[in-house]
Amino acid sequence: MLLAVLMANSEGNILVERFNGVPAEERLHWRSFLVKLGADNLKGVKNEELLVASHKSVYIVYTVLGDVSIFVVGKDEYDELALSEAISVITSAIKDVCGKVPTERLFLDKYGKICLCLDEIVWKGLLENTDKDRIKRLIRLKPPTEF
Amino acid sequence: MAQPLVKKDDDRDDEYEYSPFLGIEKGAVLQEARVFNDPQLDPRRCSQVITKLLYLLNQGETFTKIEATEVFFAVTKLFQSKDVGLRRMVYLIIKELSPSADEVIIVTSSLMKDMNSRTDMYRANAIRVLCRITDGTLLTQIERYLKQAIVDKNPVVASAALVSGIHLLQTNPEIVKRWSNEVQEAVQSRAALVQFHALGLLHQIRQNDRLAVSKLVTSLTRGTVRSPLAQCLLIRYTSQVIRESGMNNQTGERPFYDYLEGCLRHKAEMVIFEAARAITELSGVTSRELNPAITVLQLFLSSSKPVLRFAAVRTLNKVAMTHPTAVTNCNIDMESLISDQNRSIATLAITTLLKTGNESSVDRLMKQITNFMSDIADEFKIVVVEAIRSLCLKFPLKYRALMNFLSNILREEGGFDYKKAIVDSIVILIRDIPDAKESGLLHLCEFIEDCEFTYLSTQILHFLGNEGPKTSDPSKYIRYIYNRVILENATVRAAAVSTLAKFGAMVDSLKPRIFILLKRCLFDNDDEVRDRATLYLNTLGGDGSVVETDSEVKEFLFGSFDIPLANMETSLKNYEPSEEPFDIDSVPREVKSLPLAEKKAPGKKPTGLGAPPSAPTSAADAYEKLLLLIPEFASFGKLFKSSAPVELTEAETEYAVNVVKHIFDNYVVFQYNCTNTIPEQLLENVIVVVDASDAEDFSEIASKPLRSLPCDSPGQTFVAFEKPEGVPAVGKFSNVLRFIVKEVEPSTGEAEEDGVEDEYQLEDLEVVAADYMLKVGVSNFKNAWESMGPDCERVDEYGLGPRESLTEAVNAVISLLGMQPCEGTEVVASNSRSHTCLLSGVYIGNVKVLVRLSFGIDGQKEVAMKLAVRSEDESVSDALHEIVASG
Repeated sequence: MLLAVLMANSEGNILVERFNGVPAEERLHWRSFLVKLGADNLKGVKNEELLVASHKSVYIVYTVLGDVSIFVVGKDEYDELALSEAISVITSAIKDVCGKVPTERLFLDKYGKICLCLDEIVWKGLLENTDKDRIKRLIRLKPPTEF
Repeated sequence: MAQPLVKKDDDRDDEYEYSPFLGIEKGAVLQEARVFNDPQLDPRRCSQVITKLLYLLNQGETFTKIEATEVFFAVTKLFQSKDVGLRRMVYLIIKELSPSADEVIIVTSSLMKDMNSRTDMYRANAIRVLCRITDGTLLTQIERYLKQAIVDKNPVVASAALVSGIHLLQTNPEIVKRWSNEVQEAVQSRAALVQFHALGLLHQIRQNDRLAVSKLVTSLTRGTVRSPLAQCLLIRYTSQVIRESGMNNQTGERPFYDYLEGCLRHKAEMVIFEAARAITELSGVTSRELNPAITVLQLFLSSSKPVLRFAAVRTLNKVAMTHPTAVTNCNIDMESLISDQNRSIATLAITTLLKTGNESSVDRLMKQITNFMSDIADEFKIVVVEAIRSLCLKFPLKYRALMNFLSNILREEGGFDYKKAIVDSIVILIRDIPDAKESGLLHLCEFIEDCEFTYLSTQILHFLGNEGPKTSDPSKYIRYIYNRVILENATVRAAAVSTLAKFGAMVDSLKPRIFILLKRCLFDNDDEVRDRATLYLNTLGGDGSVVETDSEVKEFLFGSFDIPLANMETSLKNYEPSEEPFDIDSVPREVKSLPLAEKKAPGKKPTGLGAPPSAPTSAADAYEKLLLLIPEFASFGKLFKSSAPVELTEAETEYAVNVVKHIFDNYVVFQYNCTNTIPEQLLENVIVVVDASDAEDFSEIASKPLRSLPCDSPGQTFVAFEKPEGVPAVGKFSNVLRFIVKEVEPSTGEAEEDGVEDEYQLEDLEVVAADYMLKVGVSNFKNAWESMGPDCERVDEYGLGPRESLTEAVNAVISLLGMQPCEGTEVVASNSRSHTCLLSGVYIGNVKVLVRLSFGIDGQKEVAMKLAVRSEDESVSDALHEIVASG
């Protein structure tokens, strides 16, 4: 299960927070844990360089894209490698929507589109679409090109 | 990122001002949502409002039931718009609002219409939304469409239906299972993601049908798998099939191994790792099978991507637990990872090295770890401390270096959990490595000189009180203990007073000095400290001269508190202050929690201070005291052993009964712990009627009924047997619970006067040879074996017949003898064909026994065993052989 996708700005304020199968009372804990993880490790990291951490049987892959830090959390079959796949799809979709590496302003300008992309990529904790070109079409309700 | 930093900061100021969500407020957005009701819809404006709603929801904002309903109803109006972008947003916001069952009906007709739309993408999205918000009844109505969608030509529609199926399987499995034909067809799809989703769903549908899973795996491993994600799933299912099918007995080859090995050369890293992990986790994996996987993982250790390094070191860390030698080749790469920027990777590398290292590399490793410890977080440090503890137990001769390391890190900064892990480790090392005791205690003493955690200080003082007096020079600890009385808070001071008293009681020569110190404590400003000092001065008695302490006083100071604390609390609460003092003997001693606590204990090593080494004996002490209180058993002499409770009833029956077997030299006492779980019944005159006709050596001499057994308040009844002295008599006993049952009026809780006699059949009980053996370990088996000498050694060989595995044979012999396995020799390496197991124990009559078992297994799984026994008495060595011969 892909337990969480979280995006924050460089000050650690939450931009997007989506949990799947995480009890409500644990969410706040996860939020602060991830934000701290980012604050401790993401300084000076290149765009899209993937970092990894684990906490008990849960894995976390995270990265930075412009002003935005992105975290994905998973367990069981969503181990560090599956999460890397998921986070790469998310970063390339965001770049695609924004047209470049986003500043916080640009990210917020495209907020609705980004939410739609996420909806196509992760559906209730399962990875659904992985191809950015297809996702770009799907959010405009266009069928995939290969069809 | 390419822009100059200064410019970017300027930009940011501007941006901040104009952030589209600046000052966003829930109430205002809900107001804005009224535009959804406009007769002339403005799609652009509506999309903006939905975006704002999404922003609020994604920030963790919640809507009240009324707010959500209002927004949801308004959103449903938007189905009137033909604008494609808006429709896509509508699908999303409906899912996010997750309307309640009674509201769903408003949108179902719109969604059903979209589900049959000619526009494919309407279909895909409508399926996803419907499946998210639907319940079972609606599902049967749309099932037909979903089955069609699974085999839809458009991969997005098919994937939407398949992923919906995966979710719906949790809530409506019987419906989704009907789709297996369509899903089977989708597995053959040319679209990569459709195949991936279909494979996942098909496996979930058929996971309990081994044959079907095996067929699926066979066909796909030969066919084409179109995406790395699906390939990973297939590898996972293949390992499951391998686990369930075992070796191919004719050729000795493992089915599907070639497939897994082939996946190690796949172009996607995800697949390579999945295959490598699958190989390393094969049961009974041989080094030939393991090698290709280890080689691949080793290459990834020096990858430039942290995720790959992490994945590799994490997998190797697991392998090191079962096959440390296989990982040794990677040690050089692993050592360079100690300085990895990613602390998770570095910690995994360290702990792997600690598992694979040999005795000679310990010192070098410790040097590297010392540098590393200063810059990692506490959670990682705890993992390292635990690994070092295991290493020290593995190489006891290295205790000096490892203990020094622990004491050094104990002095550094750290949180409670970290410090507790270190202290626990030192305590375990003191317990298991006798040579480490004195230095370990001194390290702990130094730690409490500057310890900020009251809990740890009191625990260490308690431990010091038990262990310190037994050392060669107990006086050197007194200074550290008395410093606590001067410098610490009241809780620690009180603990220190108790510790001082223990030294006074055990070391007669120290008594006068302890008296002086205790007298000073009489002026403490805390009443608990003063009370303890007064109490101990009185119990130690005399005037502080060098005299031997009474055994009763020692018992008082060192004995365990045998009254269950819950009972004590209840009695104290019920006690009303009066002329009559509180009588501790009036507190019931029903050991309600004891069987439960013991049930959890097997297999779990006592950890540090939380469960001090004396824990098992203190349970025995409690039993001994309990039995001494019963006049009929008072003359039975010293209790040799009490067994763990044996259940005589199934779980959750009306009456729960378990039995503890107490073994004396001449007698055996069965303690039946009974619980009545029926609130409407009160049982009286409860007794177990034992038929010992299958236990010839035993004759019943006494029994003690339980007067009353109300619901949920456990009680005990006892039956005692005489047996020939010192003989390990065995036999089988059948048991019937007999009692008078009285109805209880639920409203008043009062029982009726008249009762009815009734019986309840219990399971049989056996006294076996292992009941006459105490599990007592030795820290160094080799020394113990050699010092016992060959005088009373008896050696013989036995054929154990065909066995499932060597592990099973080893466990069977260990439980037959009831002895303590030493040095971790109860664990059999997974693919070995021979094994040596070392056991130690004390046989009835207090005779120390050591056993060396050598096992071998052949191709037909026939197990042969050589049993060598050394003891202080040759008849005992013979007795052990008899036990094995007749078992």
